[in-house]
Amino acid sequence: MTSAISLRGVVKRFGKFAAVDHLDLEVPYGTTFGLLGPNGAGKTTSIRMIMNITKPDSGEIRVLGEKMNDRLQERIGYLPEERGLYRKMKVIDQLLFFATIKGVDRQTAMKRLSPWIDSMDLRPWLQKKTEELSKGMQQKVQFLGTIVHDPEVLILDEPFSGLDPINVVLVKDFLTEFKRQGKTVIFSTHVLEQAERMCGSIALLFRGRKILDGTLKDIKHAYRDRVPLPPPVEPEPELEKIFIKAVQESGLEAPTAEELK
Amino acid sequence: MSVNAKLFAIIKREYLQQVRTKAFWVATFLIPTLGLGLIFIQVALSRTLVAKGRIGVVDFSGRLYEPLVAEQQGRPKDDDDQDTAANATKDKKPLKDSDVGTARKMEEGRRQRIATKLEFFKVDATPETLQGIRTKLNEDVQKERIKAYIILDQNTLDKGAAEWRAQSVKADIVMRETVAGYLTRAATKERLKDRGVDPKLYDAARVRVDLDPHEAKEVENKDASKNAGFNLAVSGIFFFLIYLSIFVYGAYIMRGVLEEKNNRIVEVIVSSVRPTTLMLGKILGIGLVGLTQYAVWAALSLAIALPGVAAVAGMGEGLPHIPAATIGAFVLFFLLGYFLYASLYAALSAPFNTEQEAQQFVMIPGMMLILTSTTWFFAFNQPNGTLATVLSFFPFTAPLMMFMRISVQTPPLWQIGLSVAILLVTIWAVAWFAGRVYRVGILMYGKKPTLPEIFRWAMQAD
Repeated sequence: MTSAISLRGVVKRFGKFAAVDHLDLEVPYGTTFGLLGPNGAGKTTSIRMIMNITKPDSGEIRVLGEKMNDRLQERIGYLPEERGLYRKMKVIDQLLFFATIKGVDRQTAMKRLSPWIDSMDLRPWLQKKTEELSKGMQQKVQFLGTIVHDPEVLILDEPFSGLDPINVVLVKDFLTEFKRQGKTVIFSTHVLEQAERMCGSIALLFRGRKILDGTLKDIKHAYRDRVPLPPPVEPEPELEKIFIKAVQESGLEAPTAEELK
Repeated sequence: MSVNAKLFAIIKREYLQQVRTKAFWVATFLIPTLGLGLIFIQVALSRTLVAKGRIGVVDFSGRLYEPLVAEQQGRPKDDDDQDTAANATKDKKPLKDSDVGTARKMEEGRRQRIATKLEFFKVDATPETLQGIRTKLNEDVQKERIKAYIILDQNTLDKGAAEWRAQSVKADIVMRETVAGYLTRAATKERLKDRGVDPKLYDAARVRVDLDPHEAKEVENKDASKNAGFNLAVSGIFFFLIYLSIFVYGAYIMRGVLEEKNNRIVEVIVSSVRPTTLMLGKILGIGLVGLTQYAVWAALSLAIALPGVAAVAGMGEGLPHIPAATIGAFVLFFLLGYFLYASLYAALSAPFNTEQEAQQFVMIPGMMLILTSTTWFFAFNQPNGTLATVLSFFPFTAPLMMFMRISVQTPPLWQIGLSVAILLVTIWAVAWFAGRVYRVGILMYGKKPTLPEIFRWAMQAD
């Protein structure tokens, strides 16, 4: 079976500087794939080339077995690193606009978005202008815009950057849900620890080159004897458990499940 | 979904975003109001064109002071030496109203508006005492006790030379011309007397000739002749409408491009549609906004021109109809000019991050537009002259120039065709260039690119 995303010998230069240097990448169908590396490793440039926003100088890129085309764009959800919405547009108009340019009609879009809008408490805000929303609310709108066309592949550039903790959980829920549906997710991050918990496979980029890639399991196995292991962790009580205990001991009624959410 | 549906979505968004704003409707109704207001202000201001004040007269010839005062008092509402015949003949054989041409009516109206409240007083002087008198008169002028003083002598009668002394050599043109008019008549009559002619004959014999314009055709377009002045005014208004709207909507395009870029939304959009589709959608959407504005104005002016409304407004049978060719040419050349400049504006704003940065480059097409607007008179006066013809083929001036030529005097059809063809080819080339620059530019943040860099982007392969 071909990969969901495949890059072969992809090069992109900005002047003399090679942002991406002969990159080969295979992202199998149905995996959650982490594109990892520090700032300037070439993650965003690679993702933009996958999205056909920037053209590679050489090399070949295929998504779902095809070269990027208008129809293919409708099967991919993309969240750029720099988020953006039309500030003066109503939230609902904005979402429907995203739907239309992804080839989804209004009714389908509303049907698909409705459960999300409710679970995100966005309904009271639908008729408001985007600029009236809080940053966190805007992030939610942005995510809905990314998935309004029910994409087969989700490409997220630093999805966690700039998010407050609640929205980090939200995005993680998103990704878990997509994974469950057997969709392919590729996301970049410079926080390696995040990837470690979420990805099945990863590629490590550094200065435009791929240092290593594979499943997380294989990579960890391969480096098992060459990298010092972390010291064994002494088990500690979790803070939430401590909180519940402390409440009980103070003689108050135990917090409800709703309160703990 | 097809590319067209996405393009339509972008057009719709651009259009509704603009048309839904209060600012759009305020501008739509404010611009005609301001335009009419300006006309009223002009009319009101022309009433202030009065010659007013005391003027000292030093008359060494000894023959001009009394005739001067007589000229002024004889016709207190007259300001120069023209049109006396019309007044004279009117007394004997009243002209039918229809005989009086529009131009003459306007001329009379203008004259009546320039009321004169001049007061001449004689200053006694001899060539010997002149120096001292000058000093005093100069002081009077500077202290504004008098407006000005004039020195007349034999030369005034022989060669028409006289001296005018006032605070400024530039100001008070109306007053100076008024006085010159009185003096011209006074001196002419004196000279007639010298030649043994009764100066009364002068007033009786003078006649002002009006050239009534007609087309040299077997079947004359009566409307064109009758409404020449109106049509000329309409052409002028349309000319400046094209000029202004290219500027205004060009600025819309620039702001739209920069907004999308600064909001960073552009990356989301170009992951769904091609950059050129986005650019085209923007240009078409804002173009429709412009057409909407025109439609509202057209509806408003039609409503005003309805006979009933016009009668209430005291405009008789309403305004004459605007020739269809003028309207057709207006729409055609507005669209061509708009597409040309809109693409250029899109290309020249995409590489930048702020309006200030973009402004420097957008000024280039702006200057071309301003230059064209200054040449309208050439088209007006000689619609088939070399300059007008050449400028109507140069793509960046053609939309305005060819429109003007058509509305004044229809040029040969092949010239119109050639102008349109040149425009279409240029629009295609500029759109191609713009699309490529736009594609690269909208994702460029940070450093301000140079012009050579922008051209390099355009030349990059797909």
